[in-house]
Amino acid sequence: METTDLNLFVRTSEETISDWDRSKIADALIRETLIDQDTADQISEETELMIRRSGVRVVTAPLIRELVNAKLIERGLEGARKMHTRLGMPVFDVDSLILHPNKENANVPHGPEATNLTLAERIKKEYALLCVFSEDVADAHMNGDIHLHDLGFIDRPYCSGQSLEYIKKFGLDLPHSLSMAKPAKHPEVLLAHLVKFAAALQSNFAGAIGWDAVNIFFAPYLEGLSDDEMKQFAQMLIFEFSQQAVARGGQAIFSDINLYWEVPKHFENVSAIGPGGQFTGKKYGDYEKESQRFAWKLFEVYKEGDGAGRPFFFPKPLVHITEKFFRTEGHMDFLNHIADVSADKGNTYYVFDRGETAKISECCRLSFKLEKSDLRDAMEPWRMRYCALQNVSLNLPRIAYTAQHDDTKLMDLITQRFLLATKAHKEKRAFLEKLLAHGEDGPLALLTMNRDGMPYLRFDRAAHLIGMVGLNEMVQIHTGEEMHESKQALKFGLKIMAHMKLLTDKIQRQEGFKIVLEQTPAESTSYRFARLDLHYFSPSSGRVVKGDIASGEVYYTNSTHLNVGYPMNPIERVTNEGIFHPLIEAGSISHVWLGESHPYKQALADFVIKTFRHTTNDQIAFSPEFTTCNKCHRTSRGLDDICSYCGSSDVDGITRITGYFTKVSSWNKGKLGELKDRHRVGEYFNEQQKVANG
Amino acid sequence: MGIVKIFYKDDCPMCPVAKKLGEHLAAENIGVQHYNVETADGLAEATFYHVMALPTILVEDEDENGIGEWRGSVPRIDEVLNAFRNA
Ligand SMILES: [Zn+2]
Repeated sequence: METTDLNLFVRTSEETISDWDRSKIADALIRETLIDQDTADQISEETELMIRRSGVRVVTAPLIRELVNAKLIERGLEGARKMHTRLGMPVFDVDSLILHPNKENANVPHGPEATNLTLAERIKKEYALLCVFSEDVADAHMNGDIHLHDLGFIDRPYCSGQSLEYIKKFGLDLPHSLSMAKPAKHPEVLLAHLVKFAAALQSNFAGAIGWDAVNIFFAPYLEGLSDDEMKQFAQMLIFEFSQQAVARGGQAIFSDINLYWEVPKHFENVSAIGPGGQFTGKKYGDYEKESQRFAWKLFEVYKEGDGAGRPFFFPKPLVHITEKFFRTEGHMDFLNHIADVSADKGNTYYVFDRGETAKISECCRLSFKLEKSDLRDAMEPWRMRYCALQNVSLNLPRIAYTAQHDDTKLMDLITQRFLLATKAHKEKRAFLEKLLAHGEDGPLALLTMNRDGMPYLRFDRAAHLIGMVGLNEMVQIHTGEEMHESKQALKFGLKIMAHMKLLTDKIQRQEGFKIVLEQTPAESTSYRFARLDLHYFSPSSGRVVKGDIASGEVYYTNSTHLNVGYPMNPIERVTNEGIFHPLIEAGSISHVWLGESHPYKQALADFVIKTFRHTTNDQIAFSPEFTTCNKCHRTSRGLDDICSYCGSSDVDGITRITGYFTKVSSWNKGKLGELKDRHRVGEYFNEQQKVANG
Repeated sequence: MGIVKIFYKDDCPMCPVAKKLGEHLAAENIGVQHYNVETADGLAEATFYHVMALPTILVEDEDENGIGEWRGSVPRIDEVLNAFRNA
């Protein structure tokens, strides 16, 4: 049979319709796989026969490809099939993606630009699982033993911590950009540079971008500003960051700004950079007043909220509390000021840098303790740029189901999953190295730009994160008690975390790169793991997962947290959760859910001081709940079905999902289950205040 | 009678002195627990008690209330015995 005999048209991927040409099948097989010409020819003939018999007149390229794949499988050529496979999505999925909201990540709306991103992420995710990771790693992700975060962003590092000093010193001079901007001379220009640079970075990282000591590094530009001007500048900064989302189809840019009341010790004697990128001749310690005024105004803006009185979702303000904070004049006024914002809008994060450790915060709530080499960098703060390449989380409850109450087996399984996560890190690392090797002509040009004698991304310093989901349920399955139920159960949880901490130390020595534990911000992972375990480990999983099985609103407790629903007072929660924090190098947090009550700021400020002084907790945030009306655009306290001002039912609930504020309507089922369970403690603070007032 | 918890690791200069103290206390029929912070059990216990310096010696009564502690130093044996007597 001659190929031209077949009166067949092919819709190709180049948006053309071609005449049937059998040799194209063989050509593709030779080009893409390692099979020989004879086999390729045979397969193309068999495929042609199959199509001919079917009687269709027009076939699509994907259909032909799958028919060829079937032939490869018939011959046992599994490796060749993998190389010849096609990445894409079924019509049904594309249809529902374009027409329905995204429930997986609360931060992702579904406008056309957003669905573009989602479609691209889907392909990259498949690509990652097929081509970047080895089969055992990919399988472990698919079946829910582990979770590889942000697979749709496989070609980017995970998150990063940045310094404003870089833009101050070098201006905005990005690879392939149409114009180069010299170092800013005015604060507004510096802010514009910052926002553009943040957007550029965001397209090169999967997760959060944190900015260190923002109020201090802006200070040399802010001398002589009146109070009104300072306030206006603070407004500009917050609005610019919170509205960056527009460019990404509404997907907010995860940004943190780190703020200090005092000038921390490691910046005190650092030469300040001012307008034009020039050293001002003063040290940052000399700019304490300007940086304090700026920090104060930023929180005035947070207190007011956006146009509808809602809290700003981003940027998240992280205030570092240090020993020096308490020795710095005006600290109680400032603490009351930011606690006022906590009570009213909830924005403030309190990061506790006890003793002599300095920390820089990154990612969702990630912070890295500064090592000696980092403190040397602090003298030239534009060098202070950090990143984590990837985040892999372990499904801890699953390990416990499998271990069947056997201690040795439990620890051994943790080690195995840990090694698998390490393998995943090595594979992602190798993949990124390949991309970075193309330098400024490659896909990660921005990260390879070299303005200070080293590439922007300091690859050798990068961290690799290992997170955990459901420590509480692991302990529950293994010992019969949740961690809040007994000291033994809590200590057993600690032993698990100690084992993991020792593993990171050991693997770090063996592999020569930095591996650290972190608390997974599991917006979707805790739901995914719980769902998969209900499927694979029933009936035992049914007794353990939290939430409501009947409605499908199931979840595992996040990271090392205690049961969110158990009615314990917040100081007990923050103390006991804080016991784990010293083992988790990349940062931890405890949430204090306020609910609808509006506590006194003094009670919150007092709680912050107690937490700093008497616990080992790394970070806390207070989360109120709001209802915002889409009709009258007013916002009230608490989660309600109707607007308390106008009675409209067109309302959105707003509160913290895990690491950020968002609309409740966009939450996945697992998080909705958790929201129902959360034990709110707002009233506790009012009781405390009554006691204090006598 | 309560218990004495001794936290140590293999390569710390003062730790052998602490272990020696443990032996002497055991000879006095006092319950002693040794925790190597380079093992999961030891590190977990050390984390629970916020142990930041080595060696650390903690003394608890029978109800697990702290009645004496030496963080980063080693007491004389009579100081530990006094802690029990004064409790
Ligand atoms: Zn209304």
